[in-house]
Order: sequence, then structure tokens, then C-alpha cells
Amino acid sequence: MTEYDLGIIGYGAAGFAAAIRASELTYNGMKIALIGHGDIGGTCVNRGCVPSKYLIEASKQLFSSKNPLYPGIKSSAEINFNELMSSLRNFVSKAREEKYINVIKNFGNIDIYKGKAHFVSKNEVMVNSEKIKATNFIIATGSRPYIPENIDNYVTSDDIWSIDELPRKLAIIGSGAVAMEMAYAFSNLGSEVYVFNRSDHVLKNFDNDISRLLIEHMKNLGVKFIFGDINKADDDYVISDKKYDGFDKILVATSRVPNIDINLDAASVNYRHGIIVDDHLRTSNKMIYAAGDCVEQRLQLETLAGREGVTAVENILGFDKSIDFRSIPWVVFTEPNVASVGLTENQLKDYKKRVIELKNVVKSSILMQDGIVKMLTDKNGTVLGVQAFAPYAAEFIAEAASVIRKQGSYNDFIETMHVFPTVSESIKITAQSFIRDISKMSCCME
Amino acid sequence: MAKKVLLRVYGMTCDDCVAHVKNGLEKIGKNVDVSLDGNAVLDIDNDFDPYKIPSLDVFNGRYKAQVKEIKDD
Repeated sequence: MTEYDLGIIGYGAAGFAAAIRASELTYNGMKIALIGHGDIGGTCVNRGCVPSKYLIEASKQLFSSKNPLYPGIKSSAEINFNELMSSLRNFVSKAREEKYINVIKNFGNIDIYKGKAHFVSKNEVMVNSEKIKATNFIIATGSRPYIPENIDNYVTSDDIWSIDELPRKLAIIGSGAVAMEMAYAFSNLGSEVYVFNRSDHVLKNFDNDISRLLIEHMKNLGVKFIFGDINKADDDYVISDKKYDGFDKILVATSRVPNIDINLDAASVNYRHGIIVDDHLRTSNKMIYAAGDCVEQRLQLETLAGREGVTAVENILGFDKSIDFRSIPWVVFTEPNVASVGLTENQLKDYKKRVIELKNVVKSSILMQDGIVKMLTDKNGTVLGVQAFAPYAAEFIAEAASVIRKQGSYNDFIETMHVFPTVSESIKITAQSFIRDISKMSCCME
Repeated sequence: MAKKVLLRVYGMTCDDCVAHVKNGLEKIGKNVDVSLDGNAVLDIDNDFDPYKIPSLDVFNGRYKAQVKEIKDD
């Protein structure tokens, strides 16, 4: 048996963040076992954010090359999908090596264990045939795709990265961020994409207006939406209101479920669908914390996982930290981006609202892109939530996160000078709409 | 006194560090013993939450502490 100060189960975003922060705070004095299986780095770098954004950006370039917006430009473009996917996998491999494998080499206090861990007592796990004891544990085991019972012969966002042939006709089951991003990317790349979903609302954490705009936009790109119960899907067909067939692939992107099959009972750690934690990320076992997608919580995000890994370690070492769920930004990387931070109209009763259309934003007009930005405040002007369907929203939603985190008002956006012309101005113009009629405002109005 | 708490203390590099940490722990406990190797032990009253020890002022800067074990006397 080997003893450690800290055992971290899972070497994805949450586990790595926890290991590095623990090392920083203890001058590399904390002896850490970092335990995981599969590719080091977890979902984000290997199967999530990184490959999906690579594919989306490549698909955007292909689409815009084939469809130039500006008068006087004519172009054409071809795709070698096999070559594109090979470059994607090489990029992922390089990112994994640079951001994870090489990084961990800087920490002599961290031992990596490759294998599946399960608890055998309140402070011991077995990994392969080795017993590891630790003073504290952080569980950071992540999540995996959820597969409904009536679906067979499919791919998920875990394994679609290995395909080398562009699906001529692709069925996507689901309506969350993964489903929308993959529908957008494969449509751009030339696949005939069908999205199947039980309800006619996509992106359940967004308000109806944003959901409707995204659906309309995707329809204009050629994506077909089929709403209704899915009775059966297998190999090349989906049965919903009728049978749809001829698909080369079925991509299941319904949701993700926490990985908690690590004998939590032996460690006296309570769980339901995910691990139950308090505000400090501490489980029912006071010596064990949990972070990331394995926690029972509303959002599953790489940035949230990393923040939770750091927070768990800090609380083990006497800090008094919790996660501010009001100011977590998140984005769906379609184009325009869909971005949100804070509360939505669905979650509020008494609030003030302003919505601007991007035709009021010069840069958006130059980009020839439509969209909206919505801001919600309380009666005193304190910002409660911001949602955007706008180009580059992923790049500027953090400004709203910062204001909401500091419980600022719409004046904080107005009094902050923004670069002209940028799409980020849209957030300021939305704030200005609380105090004036923006249709009577010059574009240089501060 | 009802509980004995074993701690792991990080950041100590000399005897002055040990004395500083010991002094900080004596504000809430008795029979405090701190070693330069990073181990510390003390007795605390039942009504003091041992998990609050890493939040003490002495651990608010260079030094950090981790609760290793709590024993009832």
C-alpha cells in the first residue's frame, strides 16, 4: 500500500486543476496520487471542447469559402475529410501532450496511476491490484454520454472523432450544446443533417427566444429538425413521427451522465444521479470532495470543472471558497455563437429586460450577421443575466460574467469604453437601451 | 480536552517556522507539538471544529495545514 496526502480520482480538467493548485499552495510539498484511465486530460481535450472547436472552425472556413458574403468575391472550396480528421486528431494529440503530459512532468510530487479506481474503505482505493491510501480524496471522474434504451448502432461525441469519411446523411439525436454544434459543423461540411428531439425547444438552459432564433438559423443553413418522441433508432434509420432512413451515421447527443461507479458506498459518499456535495464541494464524507461533471449539478463545463478542482483543494487547505453559479458563462459555438451568463427569463419573476437586434451594431452589419443580445436586471439596474445570439459572443460574454460576479449594474457596461467597431459593443448598446432610445443614437454615442 | 488532531503542515523551512506555527496552534489547543518534517499534533476542546484548524490565522499566509486524523481522547 502507498500513502498520499491527496488522492485525485480522474485526470481530466477538474483533477488536473486540483493537482496543480494543491502543488502551488504547498510548494510541491503535498504528495499526490493522480489516478485515471483512458487518455490523460479527460473529455475536454480529447473528446470534447478541443476537437469540436477544431471541427467547427474548419467547417466555417469551408462554408464561407463556398459562400462568400461580399459582392465581387467569387470562390470555391473542396474538402478532403480524411485529411481534415487526421489533422484534428494530430491537433488533439499535440494539445494533450503540451497541456497535460508535459505540464505534469513539472511536478515531482505528483504520481500518475493509470487504471480504474474504486473505493475499498473511507480513505483507500484500489487501482488495478494496488491499494492507495490518502488523507483526502477529490473525486473528479467526469461524465459519459447517456444512451437511451431504444437506440442501437450509433456514435457519440466520444468516438465520432475517429471517423474518416464524411457522413453523406447524418442523424443527430438530442438538442443540447453538443447536438447543436455537431449539426452546425457537419452541415457546413456538406452532410445532410437531421436533428431529432422530443420537444421543439433546443438548448434547455436558454430562453425560448434564443432557442427559436437558433432553430431558424440552422434551418436556413439546411439542417432539418424533427420534433417528437423517438420510438427507435438503429444503424441507418430513426423512427419518430415516421421512419427516416438512409443515414450513414446516427450521432447520439442526448445528455451526459456522471461517472460514479467507483463503489462510493464503501467511502460513505452519498450520491443520486451524481455525487452530492455542499457549497464547499465536500461530500458526506468530510475527508472526500468532488469536482466537475461527476457532481450532481446543472452545468457540465470544462471551466466549471477546473474551478471546482481548484476550489476543492483550497477548501481542504482551510480556505472558505464556493462556486458562484450566477456568473458562470457558457457558450454554444455555432455561428453566430449562443452565449449566456446568469439567470434567464424562465428563472426570474420580477425583472427588467432589454433586447437589441444586431442590426443596431455596426460591426455585425459589416459581418452581415443577425442576432440579438438580451440583458435582464432587477428594479435597481443590477444585472441578473445576459444572453446573446451573436458572432464572437464567446469572446465577450466574460465581460457580462465579470459585471454579474461583482453585482454590477448596466451602468458598468455603459461606463466601460468599448472598441469601435466590435460586436462586443452590442452588450454596451443593450445596456444603453435602459436609458435611451438607441434608434436615435449615433454609433459613437457614449 | 477531548480531541487529538493530527495535521500535515506545509511551508515550514526552519525552526522559526516551527515556533510560529506552534504559537498559532496554541491559541486554540494544548499539548501542541510541531515538527519540521511537516507533522503537527494538538489537543482541542470538543466544541472546536477540528476542520476549522486550517483556517486559523497562522495558516492564512505562507503556511498551509491539512487535517490528517481526528482522535477522540
